[in-house]
Amino acid sequence: MPEETLFLKNTETFAESMVRCGVRFHFAYPITPASDVMKHSAVILPAFGGRMVQMESELAVANALAGCACTGRLGATSTSGPGMSLMQETISFMAGAELPCLMLDSMRVGPGDGDIIGAQSNYFQATRGGGHGDYRVIVLALDSGQSAVDLMPTAIKLAYTYRTPVLFVMDGVTAQMTETSTFPEPHDYASEFDTSGWRYTGTKDHPKRFLLTGSYTHSQGYELNERLRAKYEIIKEKEQRWEAWGLEDAELLIVAFGIQGRMVRELAARMREEKKKVGYIVPITLWPYPDKAFEKLPKELKRVLVVEMNHGQMLDDVRLAVNGRAPTSFLGKTGGDTPLCTLAEIKAEAERLLEA
Amino acid sequence: MENTQENLSSLYGKTLMLDKLFSYCPGCGHGIVTRLVAETIEAMGIREKTVAVVGIGCGGFSHHYMDIDAIEAMHGRSPSVATGFKLASPDNFVFTYQGDGDMGAIGLADVLHAANKGVPITCLMINNTVFGMTGGQMSPTSLPGQITATTQKGRDTHLHGYPILIPEMMRSMPGVKYLARETVADAPAIRRAAKSLRKAFECQEKNLGFAFIEFIVPCPTGLKKGVKESYVWCKDQMLNYFKPTIFKDETE
Repeated sequence: MPEETLFLKNTETFAESMVRCGVRFHFAYPITPASDVMKHSAVILPAFGGRMVQMESELAVANALAGCACTGRLGATSTSGPGMSLMQETISFMAGAELPCLMLDSMRVGPGDGDIIGAQSNYFQATRGGGHGDYRVIVLALDSGQSAVDLMPTAIKLAYTYRTPVLFVMDGVTAQMTETSTFPEPHDYASEFDTSGWRYTGTKDHPKRFLLTGSYTHSQGYELNERLRAKYEIIKEKEQRWEAWGLEDAELLIVAFGIQGRMVRELAARMREEKKKVGYIVPITLWPYPDKAFEKLPKELKRVLVVEMNHGQMLDDVRLAVNGRAPTSFLGKTGGDTPLCTLAEIKAEAERLLEA
Repeated sequence: MENTQENLSSLYGKTLMLDKLFSYCPGCGHGIVTRLVAETIEAMGIREKTVAVVGIGCGGFSHHYMDIDAIEAMHGRSPSVATGFKLASPDNFVFTYQGDGDMGAIGLADVLHAANKGVPITCLMINNTVFGMTGGQMSPTSLPGQITATTQKGRDTHLHGYPILIPEMMRSMPGVKYLARETVADAPAIRRAAKSLRKAFECQEKNLGFAFIEFIVPCPTGLKKGVKESYVWCKDQMLNYFKPTIFKDETE
């Protein structure tokens, strides 16, 4: 199968991409706006020797995914808001057990059942972890179908290199868009990693192994956490990803991810044509947060504007990264018929801040 | 002959790890079931490709006494973990080892759906009618009137319902190929339980579908009884409600 360009819903592009990169087992439970991922994977996986497995709940989904990961093989899941909440205990378990997997949160409005329309209100849950304990998962922000295609090999590499769940977040608006994406030739990245040193597939080639995320002694709990801490420090140092533009002389720095980031890229270019000194940082990794992008802020910088489809969640990370060197403003909303800040709204706020 | 580990290994084989000190309390039924499981694995010659998915609770200790790979799942989720595992690695023998709290309370949905799907795994529920590890609280299988840490005047069926009969719930599921309730209350029963276990693992060997055994066992500590007394109570009281039965055997 050579390179090809397809016109698909971005949820379908996600399914297509993960399967073409080596995911053979996709565990899922229907939930809007993520259901099209499982619908599509159910159709295409058998030809790749895999299966979409529809489980009876997101609890079962996450745990079947953990079981799959124990064999060393790559599994994935896709869900949204309430489903993501149900999976949190097992995500904590998988982080503690150091099990690789891919997950997609096609984010919708919360809290509670919230609304099925797209949002970015799971930023805290994704980056802080809704589960218990001192753990982190790598979080990658998608803003298009193409970004899923482009980041999929990286995600698999991260999952196996660091033996960790990797979580994609895609706001439900992006998830529901239909657009073209160009897929490279399929390649099974997942099979390139040697899992013989840790998988739990019987004692034929190794002494007894057992997966323990609890502890029988207090020192075991301490050692587990110290090992995880050391790993997370390496990830923070090596794996920050972002796009930045116009930082050499920006008076206004806009920070946004996902579809709002995609809009801000276009807006900044337009405002530059109007001689307005606007720059942007669009994080690709939400954890580790790209603090390094903020290391050298322009001398001219007057203000930082954070735009999100929520009530200010990434805002906390921006403030930590800026660390008082510039004042920060926020523009955001969640829900409604137009559940994001429009270009006109962002432009008006940007101009107001530049003139202030 | 001295009872050295080597001598014992020549009798019992490699699966049962005789050098491990038990963390089960004296008289605990888990000890018997764990040994039966180890002996079944040994007899079938499947030690190297068997993987245990154990629950949270005293049953979680079981794998420490067997020289096999093991996964300690989150509370109640062993059947779902085993489902994902078996799918990705079908050549492994996968069994779950869970208590009545782990399987009958928090994990009921997981085991019933695994059974209904006919997932080719072996699920074992060791039912001692209490949450043992946490200190003898009422479980879904506690008997009517049974005094526990959380039912100090006895289990009131108006408030708490009746003890849950899990094999009876699985009877109508075509995906379930071997289904039994056994006990370790006395020696003849232990011999019957051993035969049942063999069938439940053979079910997986033949890739027939789901296999399930509930073991009725005493928990002297949780039941606040002496060892002998707890076995008498198990036989007289528990078996009166949880009747040992082979509900289904489609292994032939």
